[in-house]
Amino acid sequence: MAAIGVHFGYTCACVAIFKDGRADVVANDAGDRVTPVVVAYRDKEQIVGIAAKQGRIRNAANTVVKVKQILGRSFDDPEAQKHITESKCTVINKDNKPKYEIDTGEVTKIVSPDEVAKLVFHKMKETAQSALGSDITDAVITVPFEFGEIQKNALRQAAEGAGFSVLRLIHEPSAALLAYGIGQDTPTGKSHVLVYKLGGTSLTVTIMEVNSGMYRVLATHTDHSTGGESFTHALAQYLASEFKRSFKHDVTGNPRAMMKLMNSADVAKHTLSTLGSSNCFVDSLYDGMDFDCSVSRARFELLCASLFNKSIQPIKTLLEQVGLSTSDVSKVVLCGGSARIPKLQQMIQDLFPDVELLSSITPDEVIPVGAAIEAGILLGRDCSSLDVDSITVDCCARDILVKEADDTGADMYTVLFPSGTPLPARRQHTLQGPGSLSSICLELYQSQGHNSTPQEKLAQIVLNNLEPKEDNHDIVTVVTMKRDGSLHVTCTEQGSGKSEAVTVAVAS
Amino acid sequence: MLKEAVDGQVTVVCNTIAASVQFQVEPVGRWFEAFLKRRDRNVSASFQELEEEEELSEESEDEELQLEEYPMLKTLDPKDWKNQDHYAVLGLAHMRYKATQKQIKAAHKAMVLKHHPDKRKAAGEQIVEGDNDYFTCITKAIEILSDPVKRRAFDSVDPTFDNAVPSKGEGKENFCEVFTPVFERNSRWTSKKHIPKLGTMDSSFEEVDNFYSFWYNFDSWREFSYLDEEEKEKAECRDERRWIEKQNRASRAQRKKEEMNRIRTLVDTAYSCDPRIKKFKEEEKARKESEKKAKMEAKRREQEEKERAKQAELDAARLAKEKEDEEAKQAALQAKKEKEIQKKAIKKERQKLRTTCKNWNYFADSEAESVKMMEEVEKLCDRLELVSLQSLNEVLASGTKEDSKAAVEKQVQEVNAQLQKEKEAEVQARQAARSSEQASSGSGGGSKGWNEEELQLLIKAVNLFPAGTNARWEVIANYMNLHSTSGIKRNAKDVINKAKNLQKLDPHQKDEINKKAFEKFKKEHAAVPATVDNAVPSERFDASGAEANTASWTTEEQKLLEQALKTFPVSTPERWEKIAAVVPGRTKKDCMKRYKELVEMVKAKKAAQEQVAAKSKK
Repeated sequence: MAAIGVHFGYTCACVAIFKDGRADVVANDAGDRVTPVVVAYRDKEQIVGIAAKQGRIRNAANTVVKVKQILGRSFDDPEAQKHITESKCTVINKDNKPKYEIDTGEVTKIVSPDEVAKLVFHKMKETAQSALGSDITDAVITVPFEFGEIQKNALRQAAEGAGFSVLRLIHEPSAALLAYGIGQDTPTGKSHVLVYKLGGTSLTVTIMEVNSGMYRVLATHTDHSTGGESFTHALAQYLASEFKRSFKHDVTGNPRAMMKLMNSADVAKHTLSTLGSSNCFVDSLYDGMDFDCSVSRARFELLCASLFNKSIQPIKTLLEQVGLSTSDVSKVVLCGGSARIPKLQQMIQDLFPDVELLSSITPDEVIPVGAAIEAGILLGRDCSSLDVDSITVDCCARDILVKEADDTGADMYTVLFPSGTPLPARRQHTLQGPGSLSSICLELYQSQGHNSTPQEKLAQIVLNNLEPKEDNHDIVTVVTMKRDGSLHVTCTEQGSGKSEAVTVAVAS
Repeated sequence: MLKEAVDGQVTVVCNTIAASVQFQVEPVGRWFEAFLKRRDRNVSASFQELEEEEELSEESEDEELQLEEYPMLKTLDPKDWKNQDHYAVLGLAHMRYKATQKQIKAAHKAMVLKHHPDKRKAAGEQIVEGDNDYFTCITKAIEILSDPVKRRAFDSVDPTFDNAVPSKGEGKENFCEVFTPVFERNSRWTSKKHIPKLGTMDSSFEEVDNFYSFWYNFDSWREFSYLDEEEKEKAECRDERRWIEKQNRASRAQRKKEEMNRIRTLVDTAYSCDPRIKKFKEEEKARKESEKKAKMEAKRREQEEKERAKQAELDAARLAKEKEDEEAKQAALQAKKEKEIQKKAIKKERQKLRTTCKNWNYFADSEAESVKMMEEVEKLCDRLELVSLQSLNEVLASGTKEDSKAAVEKQVQEVNAQLQKEKEAEVQARQAARSSEQASSGSGGGSKGWNEEELQLLIKAVNLFPAGTNARWEVIANYMNLHSTSGIKRNAKDVINKAKNLQKLDPHQKDEINKKAFEKFKKEHAAVPATVDNAVPSERFDASGAEANTASWTTEEQKLLEQALKTFPVSTPERWEKIAAVVPGRTKKDCMKRYKELVEMVKAKKAAQEQVAAKSKK
């Protein structure tokens, strides 16, 4: 049994297969592991992928790009309007739904964004099938966190129209977390993870809380104006100015020349992620004149310095928004193709000096791999019928702490039961008391608000008549919280088996 | 480090805890799924943990192996490893094929710990040097059993497996007791998972059927490579290896065949012995029988019913007829009687008249007159009805001689006039008959009259539907009925007769008819120009009448023409010349004309046929 995860992005789509306990991205028929979401319409055929992207220079009016921007949106939606003005393809209004008008020879075809998406999904399915050698339908599809219900439905229907049976739609940041298996090994513990996704056209920063192996989005920020394309555009502008300097010709007004320059800049940008310098060469860019130029990584970083700053900025604002400091974040996950840029990685690392940046999986494959892992999890289930894509669970509202003394004898608090733990839950801790004591007192507190400094005492548990011994008393403390939030604590001294229990009721 | 409890501190709850809050979580990951499952099943986390613990403990129990000592172990000859019982060597004789891979490994470990040469040497035991020590047997055993393929091969020829198939005699007695263990034993060879049970005597037909279909399509993984006589590895060269392989393959195939036969025999025996099958067969038979019977019964009843109905009908008809006959007889008798009475009366009256006339001496003076009068009176007697005779007699009886004479004479005159009239009528009738005969000249036995219009219509129709039209005369009759104004319904027979008559007529007569028709048409459509399309058929007829040569196309010529039309398509240059050359005795013009006619005919025919078809549909 195998299942696949599909990431359908603004610029690129990628498919990963979960098989024999591991998930891996598969290459398409062109040998690329990511497929550009570009659909070109010709007289009798539709081309999806790299071929369509390469043919775009000549067939711009009949080539649909970034269809995800318009998918499931109404015509007068501002996002859709933005797409319409940018698109080289004619977009018409039909019943307040945007449709592409494709001119294929004699007849003019009206194509809805759903159909375009369906074609892309079909391509992804073919890719997975050829890699697997058998028919495959079960799939998990990723969606951006900010997608609305209509857009999700449109995406789901497009996938189903291409022959997928959609197991579940999951959010891109959660897929990224799942790809690295964060919080999946042990179901206890709580941490904060930052997902930094810099795609082709958009930047998404999400702060997630991982608690008991479950993920929760604390805050997210999406910027549709920053992305890999803006870097490419900056580089292309630079190349155009270089051309103007050497040939005294301004090509910025020539769309075809600009498109050629963009393609060249794109290639150069990719090279600069690994090499120190890259050569840009465009045959007969303008008026039969060839263009040749070398760009160093430093030049590129200089050109995009302001853009990089702009890309990093949302992290700080978002952390402020949720009231966390950079030290509260335990992991940073990088995804999206542009997260490969070394300068950007370095800037993020500078921001989180003692946090590991997770980029062992190729950034643009993180999300599909996560989706495939989720598909593998769901495949084992008999009935994974879940109508909603996110679900509300009862969670513990406050941290439950115990008061202890540190080596110097000062008070310190240890979290026994972190806030946000899905309920019902049980946690077991082994607390230690000095062996010389004959009675030990556990004082339980709950935190007030977000930060855990001002406390409110909940209960105290006293264990009397302990036999003094040389090594420490081991007190096994089991903390159980029911779904309504009521707390039950049992403490047992391992040596003598003495135990005490309290139940703390819920404030009405 | 926990703190010490201060004196007087007791376990106490001093505050309430904040209520739980609801958060949206991402539906991903195995912990989410576990949570969902827990929530759906409404169990607490601790319960699930307990369950998991239980599972764990079960697993650990599995690991606690009970190894059976194999007393012969130390006497085993490693060279004869092929004939040793590997399970027994590892102390797993009680588990055999049911032993898991884990258990085998554990058992091996235990055996190694116990029997390793080094260990025994340390204990001061004598060790046989080299591979001849019995420890090699243990190594061999784990080698076979740890490899799934080799283990399967060994399992296939498990010496403890009972290959026996119960005989029919055994099976007949207590079927279930005999066969259940046999099938259970053999089911280990299947590669399928769900093995149907033999079941009990009360198993349903579906269960039994399922069971036998499973066993008849038994897919066994048993193979006999373990029994290979030659070892491939021992061969010295490739050819020898090939030869050995061939030998082994043949013997394996032979054994496999035997095995399949064995299974087949087993299932066959079971099937033939199975009292349930017998029962089902009987039931089926009985069911079929009863069904058949019921069918027959129904058929018979139906037949009877039919016959009864028929009989009743016949009876009713006969009764009605009898009654009618009786009535008719009565009526005839009555009529006869009346007639006789009347006859008598008339005779009497006549006699009376004669006597009266005689008495009056026939109102005559001379002999000759009287003779003439007598004749007249006789005539009167013949002709006059009863009533007039009576009245005449009355007049004669009451009146004087003069009066009587006048009356008689008057009667005579009347009678004479009547006679004259009749004669004239007869003559006229004869004439009319003759003329009508002439007109219709023996038209089909008193057929309905045909007027000009209809004749014209008929000619038109006959031309429209030439010989060869499907159901030609019906079509013509229908056409006639549709178009005629007279309202007389004609059938095919009428039409066929009339048309034949018409054919007999000489061209002159036809001409006349047509001319008349034309005149009439002209009269009717005085204002309409004569070139209307309607006139075409008659024109055509005219032409055919006038030019006898061109008009009558024989069937052969027609065929030739049709063929020519086909061979020279429209695009052919000088098409008509070529066509004319092919049809002997016809000019180009003739051919063209004929072609046009044919086209018209086909058009009209189609229209009429459509009408007929539409009509018949209704």
